[in-house]
Amino acid sequence: MKHRARWIAAVVGVVCVLFGVVLAVQHRSEPSVPRLVLEHGHAPPFVLDGLNGKPINSAQLKNKTYVVNFFNSWCLPCQQEAPALKAFYAEHKSDANFAMVGIIIDDDAATMRDYVKGEDITWPVGVDPNGGASLSFGTTGQPETYVFAPDGVAVCGNLGPSTQAELDVWLAAAQAGEECTSPKS
Amino acid sequence: MKSRKLVPWFALGLVVVVGVVVLIVRSRPDPSPTARAERLEHQFACPVCEGQSVFDSNSPQSAAMRADIPRRIAAGQSDAEIRAAYVALYSEKVLETPSNSGLGIVAWGLPAVALILGVVSITVAVRRWSHAPRLAATEEDEDVVRRARALGDGTEAARE
Repeated sequence: MKHRARWIAAVVGVVCVLFGVVLAVQHRSEPSVPRLVLEHGHAPPFVLDGLNGKPINSAQLKNKTYVVNFFNSWCLPCQQEAPALKAFYAEHKSDANFAMVGIIIDDDAATMRDYVKGEDITWPVGVDPNGGASLSFGTTGQPETYVFAPDGVAVCGNLGPSTQAELDVWLAAAQAGEECTSPKS
Repeated sequence: MKSRKLVPWFALGLVVVVGVVVLIVRSRPDPSPTARAERLEHQFACPVCEGQSVFDSNSPQSAAMRADIPRRIAAGQSDAEIRAAYVALYSEKVLETPSNSGLGIVAWGLPAVALILGVVSITVAVRRWSHAPRLAATEEDEDVVRRARALGDGTEAARE
């Protein structure tokens, strides 16, 4: 009888430990790097309705090192990130092999036109019809930033606001075909 | 005479057959693109919110998925292909039901194991109880009962 109780206790203990292991494996901290970047995926093709009336086609970005930033007018982290993006773009816009595109997520064109004008954003910004680009990138919120190497591979990126220092490091890594390193790490 | 006895059984059999056929027909999923899209929307979890399906969520990602699923159906993709495409984008967290591989097996298997263990435990317990010998009253037990009854009778008589 004594032994039986021990066996039952042992089985219950093993089940509890297994359950704990499953929970521990399932519970992971939130990632800070987009899945596309982690997997070094290729740039998804996209066509956007540019705020200035001209369509933005990802085919135009071929063989360039380019940055894609998902953002909108109402997201506070996007507003915090805007000065860093502006400084970064001003630093690199003269480079013919560099490009930057802003993709609006969950906002309307009229509001965004006012916001872009007010914030003096000069890089091409486009509306994502039906969220197709957002979906093909696998976005999980905004802001999200992706840096693509000239061969179209997502080498660096960030979920959340990026700093100018981070963007500079990522761009240099993408241009050099190196593994991405963040100044935070 | 014999055939008249069989009539209720035929009637019962007919009811069972009709019931099974109706159940089978009604449980077949509607293959129309709209119904398929709606079923799939219920099968995917909103990738940016907690506890909501793509069908219920208002997030832009869910709205984009709701717009994308009919396009994929129109392009001839099977349900499995559509599921695989979203798993590639958002990992298995996007599935409302666990997959039948990896850790998903634990989610599917644990209830079955618990059910089997429960059935076995109940069976063993019932068999043990049914084989346990009935207790027989000893002389002392009967004496106690006899005295208690006598005491009860005396109390009732005194009341009367």
